[in-house]
Amino acid sequence: MGLEKFDPALAVHDLIQDLKWSVELRAEFAANEAAVLDRYPLREDERRAIETRNFLALYDMGLHPYLGGQLARLIFGNEAGKGATVAVNKLVESLQGKGAVG
Amino acid sequence: MAEIVFAAGAPHAPGLIGLLEAAPVDVKDIVATTYRSLASALTSARADVLIVFANDHLANSRIRAYPDFLIGMAAEHRGPFEWFKPWIGCEDYTVKGSPGIAAALFNGMTRRGIRMFAQNENLKFDDNISVPVQLTNLAGMGIPMVPVLQNCTVPPIPDQHRCYAVGEALGDFIRNDLPSDMRVALLGSGGLSHEPGGARYYFIDEDFDRWFLDLVASGDHQKLLNELTLEKMEAAGSGGTSELLSWVVVLGAIGSKPGKSFGYTVHRDFKCGVGAVLWDMDANLPKRRAA
Repeated sequence: MGLEKFDPALAVHDLIQDLKWSVELRAEFAANEAAVLDRYPLREDERRAIETRNFLALYDMGLHPYLGGQLARLIFGNEAGKGATVAVNKLVESLQGKGAVG
Repeated sequence: MAEIVFAAGAPHAPGLIGLLEAAPVDVKDIVATTYRSLASALTSARADVLIVFANDHLANSRIRAYPDFLIGMAAEHRGPFEWFKPWIGCEDYTVKGSPGIAAALFNGMTRRGIRMFAQNENLKFDDNISVPVQLTNLAGMGIPMVPVLQNCTVPPIPDQHRCYAVGEALGDFIRNDLPSDMRVALLGSGGLSHEPGGARYYFIDEDFDRWFLDLVASGDHQKLLNELTLEKMEAAGSGGTSELLSWVVVLGAIGSKPGKSFGYTVHRDFKCGVGAVLWDMDANLPKRRAA
């Protein structure tokens, strides 16, 4: 699973980049994820995949894998050897066939 | 004529800092030896400036407005960017920049037909710049840095031929546009095999890594350009291995030179092969550039 399905038009790319660039947006995402998602022109299936932590579905839609890894860290943790390891394992679990890992 | 006095390629996996302490002793030894050797060579080279090419990792620009090369023109480069700090486990650093050389690079590449972008504001650095800066103690050396963040992962990716041509233009710029007594160091920061964000996140392609390290140390650039395809790098780790294209830029700038490695190691938690090459800038090999 590489870049062959990459679709740069997906709004989830902007969501991920905004989250990593803004402490305030990350806090709001943690407190009220739906309110943040409401601001992005996400497709229905795209939003559903984010909500259910279905990275496999997002990659099938065209999410760039590098940002997929960052989305996993934004959701599951970003600290070396701790939350970041959980994030990697959750992501791999989803991509290797489980789909939703929320 | 300004002179390239140091040229190297080295990986920048975040685990080299944040996960190093927990790594096996033999792995730690190779990491320490590698970056200590690079730092020593950089110091001995008495460089006036270090130009670093490294994968941007989608850290600075929207994915639909993505530059292939982005020059940092700031007077000081501060990192890592806030969100990457816990992930890298890296201390804050400030490295001197060189707005004048950065501006000259931007203008010089433009005149040579190479579209680059440049930004006065501090760029957002993740492991791409933070790991080599920290592991070589670049801030302590006091050598000014000009970072050039590169598109190694957003299609269409400038391939090995394009990156080599960019490197040739870079070499021409250094030799002909910079002051005649200037001593320039070049670092390609990236690789080796890894697949960040992919289904094979823990995959490391040892065969590929050893093949690549031997090839770039040989100085055979014709073979490199023929065989280091995007497809081959994707097979060795999608979306990550292709940041070896930063090494290719450096190779284009220096031409065929032999290099030496300081060992190769694999540690699963790093999620990336580890090995670097330092090229011998005093050697003169017959030019072996692909036609």
